[in-house]
Amino acid sequence: MKKLIVGSVLLVSSSAALAVAPGGPDCGWGNMLFEGQSGLGPHFVATTTNGTSGNKTFGMTSGTNGCSTDGALTYGGTSLVSNMMDEFSEDVARGHGDALNAVAASMGVEKADRELFAKVAHDNFNVIFPSENVTAREVTAALNALMKADSRLAKYAV
Amino acid sequence: MNVFKRIQNANSQFSGFLFLVLMSGVTSATPPDARRVDVLQHLQQQAQQIRLWQHQEWLNLLHYDKDSGSPSGYTSAVDDARFFNATDGAISPEAELRATLSALYRRDVSGNDHAQCRFVARLHWLKKQLLFDAATLPDVHCPDYAEWYAMVKAQRATLIFPTYHLNSPSSMFGHTLLRLDHSTSIEDSSWLSFAVNFGANTNAEDNSLFYAFKGLTGGYPGIFIVAPYFKKIQEYNRIEKRDIWEYQLNLSPEEVDRMVTHLWELKEINFDYYFFDENCSYRLLELLEVARPGIELTDEFGVTAIPIDTVKAIERVGMIESRRFRPARVTELSALMKTLSSTEQRLMQQLAADPSVFERADFAALNDERKARIIDAAYRYQRYQQGGEVRSDEQARNSHRLLALLNRYPGNIMPPPVVEPTPPELGHHSRRASVSMGERNNEGFTEVAMRMAFHSLEDNERGFLRGAQINMANVQLRVADSGDVRLQQLDAIDIVSLTPRTRFFQPMSWKVYTGFERQITDGKDRLTAHVTAGWGASYSLARNGLLYTLATGRLEHNRGLPGGGIEPALGVDSGLLWHFGKSTTRLELSGERFLNDYYRTRVRYSQNFVMARNHGINFSADYNHNRDDQYSQFSLAYRYYF
Repeated sequence: MKKLIVGSVLLVSSSAALAVAPGGPDCGWGNMLFEGQSGLGPHFVATTTNGTSGNKTFGMTSGTNGCSTDGALTYGGTSLVSNMMDEFSEDVARGHGDALNAVAASMGVEKADRELFAKVAHDNFNVIFPSENVTAREVTAALNALMKADSRLAKYAV
Repeated sequence: MNVFKRIQNANSQFSGFLFLVLMSGVTSATPPDARRVDVLQHLQQQAQQIRLWQHQEWLNLLHYDKDSGSPSGYTSAVDDARFFNATDGAISPEAELRATLSALYRRDVSGNDHAQCRFVARLHWLKKQLLFDAATLPDVHCPDYAEWYAMVKAQRATLIFPTYHLNSPSSMFGHTLLRLDHSTSIEDSSWLSFAVNFGANTNAEDNSLFYAFKGLTGGYPGIFIVAPYFKKIQEYNRIEKRDIWEYQLNLSPEEVDRMVTHLWELKEINFDYYFFDENCSYRLLELLEVARPGIELTDEFGVTAIPIDTVKAIERVGMIESRRFRPARVTELSALMKTLSSTEQRLMQQLAADPSVFERADFAALNDERKARIIDAAYRYQRYQQGGEVRSDEQARNSHRLLALLNRYPGNIMPPPVVEPTPPELGHHSRRASVSMGERNNEGFTEVAMRMAFHSLEDNERGFLRGAQINMANVQLRVADSGDVRLQQLDAIDIVSLTPRTRFFQPMSWKVYTGFERQITDGKDRLTAHVTAGWGASYSLARNGLLYTLATGRLEHNRGLPGGGIEPALGVDSGLLWHFGKSTTRLELSGERFLNDYYRTRVRYSQNFVMARNHGINFSADYNHNRDDQYSQFSLAYRYYF
């Protein structure tokens, strides 16, 4: 399980580095953009060839674009949350969904506890997402605080 | 000699034992360095004896294609010296195998750069094919590979097919990628799985137009990219508004492992990239051939590899276990809208624009189930509208408020009732041959036609996008009753994209059409060259009808036109398309007026009957009127899709 956690964080950290501006850990929920959303032109160009530009990626960062994976590790689930914050907020509001499950998996929450994790998050939407300016870093911190306060989820908190 | 022959034919422990005895006999009397040289020499001899480089698995691992221009008869599709150990490795499977064996035994290189770390799949395969004592290999540690392998941790593989996307040249035929899943349990989180995608490795400095052109003509090398699957969901489901089909493959963990180790060999390695044949889908077939030795997937795709055809090929070899539909965000939103009454739709729009509508008496009067549904739709609709832009502070605040409102109704939020469409692999085949008989102005004719790809508006719509037509390389030859044979029509490209506009979605409809066609002009039947494009709108009529109108522009080369050269024209193309299940009606009215005042108008009626998945009958009637002539035509065709 531990390996998977580290793996997920690693792989996400590389994509966070690629997303640069939009998905940063200190970028507000309301200001998020997705890759490819910067207008019709660049998007057309990117899809013309099913291609990728600039940063080659192989799921890891070694050698290609010089981004560090070590730094990202200290965020815990922050880089993952910042990469799917929009979907995550929606899933928390609903109480279920793929993004919620992915965040739980990346935090090492075992399957038996996922439902509880989803419920705790759902019941505390206003705590996790207090305003439209909330950042991924704050979301992760709130999430960890909630987990610490729960007897069954406390073991997953960092 | 005989000993080696026997070793080749038998995997029995006996021959292995014999070989070890032989080896130990050779090695015991010599110093260590010379022993290594001997071991390597013996391996080379073994490989030589059984001509190991001719094995299909070796050819697959090195991506060799048959090439009569190469001295060995093979050239690799990989265009990157880093992938080969021999200087002539790209054109010589034999030299590459010999050089690979030598490289595996090198002691002057260590760590990540050693051949043992870089060519893991080759090493695994050679170990199985040749009887060598692994202990004789230099002891090499591969930290990068170990880290990557532990991270990917793949046990299962899923083929992913994002559906047709007409607004993008490389995606109009769809696209395929592979997903590597961590565990056997799908619920674990496929979002965190890795997606393996083959695409052009483009140069960001090129400007857009040049980039598009270069991409389509194969000017960029292709490369494998590994990225988290949720990035792909965001890209396809959300931004490009494409539904995704996921096909779980029945590859064993061992087979997946073979593919993953080979994928590592392809890290940052450049391939020749060709859009039509050796494209994303073709390369994935090659990966699957590596995964499961003995299957043949690529042979039939020498000329073109249309993504959905490759899905069908993978299904034919029995690799697909199950199928899952992942609707695009917009598909979910459309389904949700249909569950709202007209009044509720209006409320939804008001709420999306201003969440304080929630406090209003008419909203408060609704029950919780309706409230939840309307808030859900409003949130989705608002996010859809914000699509590709940065949100203003007010928009962000409104979105946040809607989510907070949604959060108040747990248990009342129903998933959007999306109706799963017919899976694309069940659609008719991509190529079409037709034979028809008809009459034009009381003169009979017979016609044969061939279309390389892909789907016409009136073809059997099962498995295709309604309102989307992509025809490429369509040729029609006509034999008149008088015995004359002539080219009647040659369409290079004939694409029509008709997406209906609704109260909530306002997409544009368009068409692009270019090639050669016959026009009776100035009393003579003439072959003309043309480029035609149209831009407009379409609307749904009831459930199965589509009405469209496009403003068109045309450039035509026609010697019969006054002036006799290339003439521009403006026109209109309107039509009605009606699907009756097993039959489709298309009625079209169009016309154009040239700059020199010459004009034409046409009425065309076409009725298509689906006989079976890949068989159809088509009846059509045309009436044409132009400045000097008028003529009519009837035709009855049998169409076979293959």
